[in-house]
Amino acid sequence: MSHVDEGTLHAYLDGELPSAERTALEAHLADCATCRANLTEERALRERAAALLGSARPAERPAPPLEQLRRESKRSPWHVRRSFAWAASIALALGIGYYLRNPVEEMAPANTPAPEFGLYDRQAAPSGTLPAKAPPGRRPAPPPRPPRPAAAELAQMMEKDSAATRVALRSNEALTHAGPPSAVAAAAARPRADSPSANLPTVDGVLADRSQPALAQANARGAYNRSARELVDTAWPVINQPAARSILGAEPVGLPGLTTRKIRRSPGSDGTVVVEQALDASTVIQIFQRAASAGSLSDSTSYGFTGGFERARANRLARFVGRLRVEITGPLSADSLNRLLEQVAPLP
Amino acid sequence: MPEDIAEVYRSTYPALVRFLYRKVWDQGRAEDLAQEAFARALVHRPENTRGWLFVVAANMARDEARRAAREKRHLTLLKSEPDAVHSSPEEEIDAETRTRRVRAALDELTPRDREALLLWDAGMSYDEIAAQTGLARGAIGTTLARARRRLVEAYDTGLEGGQHVARG
Repeated sequence: MSHVDEGTLHAYLDGELPSAERTALEAHLADCATCRANLTEERALRERAAALLGSARPAERPAPPLEQLRRESKRSPWHVRRSFAWAASIALALGIGYYLRNPVEEMAPANTPAPEFGLYDRQAAPSGTLPAKAPPGRRPAPPPRPPRPAAAELAQMMEKDSAATRVALRSNEALTHAGPPSAVAAAAARPRADSPSANLPTVDGVLADRSQPALAQANARGAYNRSARELVDTAWPVINQPAARSILGAEPVGLPGLTTRKIRRSPGSDGTVVVEQALDASTVIQIFQRAASAGSLSDSTSYGFTGGFERARANRLARFVGRLRVEITGPLSADSLNRLLEQVAPLP
Repeated sequence: MPEDIAEVYRSTYPALVRFLYRKVWDQGRAEDLAQEAFARALVHRPENTRGWLFVVAANMARDEARRAAREKRHLTLLKSEPDAVHSSPEEEIDAETRTRRVRAALDELTPRDREALLLWDAGMSYDEIAAQTGLARGAIGTTLARARRRLVEAYDTGLEGGQHVARG
């Protein structure tokens, strides 16, 4: 056997020489002083190179949990907590009054009022539970259903908003891995909401998620609905359209073709009226309005109907319609609300 | 059946960071890239996770180097290499200087030799290095021998050239 080349010596030193070759090499080394010397030299070289590389190594820092890498884009744990807080606040906002979803019914198609609301409207608030109700006979007969120019667009908006939601929610999916698997966390993680960047919660469907345990679902919904109803029923009295007209000095405005769920007035003396209209069984748009001369609406909304944090989160856009200053708010994107606001007109 | 990524993560993450560090020379960046590589592995579920990770990491480091080179061209106020004038503690200067010299020495290697050496240092076997680099397995020993010799020589040469500056 001729002298061993340095590649073989390095493979030997690296422990990567196949066993047959290794045996042959070791036999040769026993007889060959030159190769033994070479081996010593290469061993020193190998160790020197390893030491050099070792001196240029990063500090060993612990690896982040693998779970953290499961997200599409890398985000810090802080971001997770923030998005969780965001989702949780949406769940809370749900209690304030936009979403009075019937616990058992499926979501109705857009513009089809839930039986409860539809009944309520058609019967013009029966049984004297509501103050300042006009006698039923004086209520104008329901006009023939007007064409609904907004209907298709609304359906589109709803779809678009929930599409945005799905995108936003993908980033929240990490929560189901990272967070404790409680029903609350699950509920908070699955709102149909606009993207956080739109700064607008769309909370429809949070509590209707059928994948939640039924009991937790019912409990949560009951609690939210109860608090919502309390606020709605106590804070802003329900009035009828003529009463609203007399407060505003003009016909109240709303979105043509949408069912008007309720008209309310501010509990203060600021002359603000809010028209609530249902986009579908679970999504309600509020149209605040006041005679333009009466000043801004901004302080009138602090009477409990729209709580402070909710007001800060919901998009609220304003324009003048005739003599009225009108603000619109609801669980839709600013873009959608803006288009709705454009269509606001005096109620029939 | 893909390997258990959690296990690969535990065993390979430090080596992958080290491998990347010798390419991008920034610890935070190396960690980011390593984590990104694992994040991709979680999505792609490759058959050979370890090998796949190093291929992806090497590609990311190459892209990173190109991007850095572009940025460097655009950077008008590129600060000059800090040599002896430095207020850091003595040891830190030493560590920094040594790292810079090793980096300079590694730059003297051919890309293939350097890659083989870094992969070996990251704990890869000859078989894995062969698969990764396209070299024949029988050529790995020779490649590593050449790479090691070149690294040591280049380092020592740089040391002689810069001795009066660093060692004062």
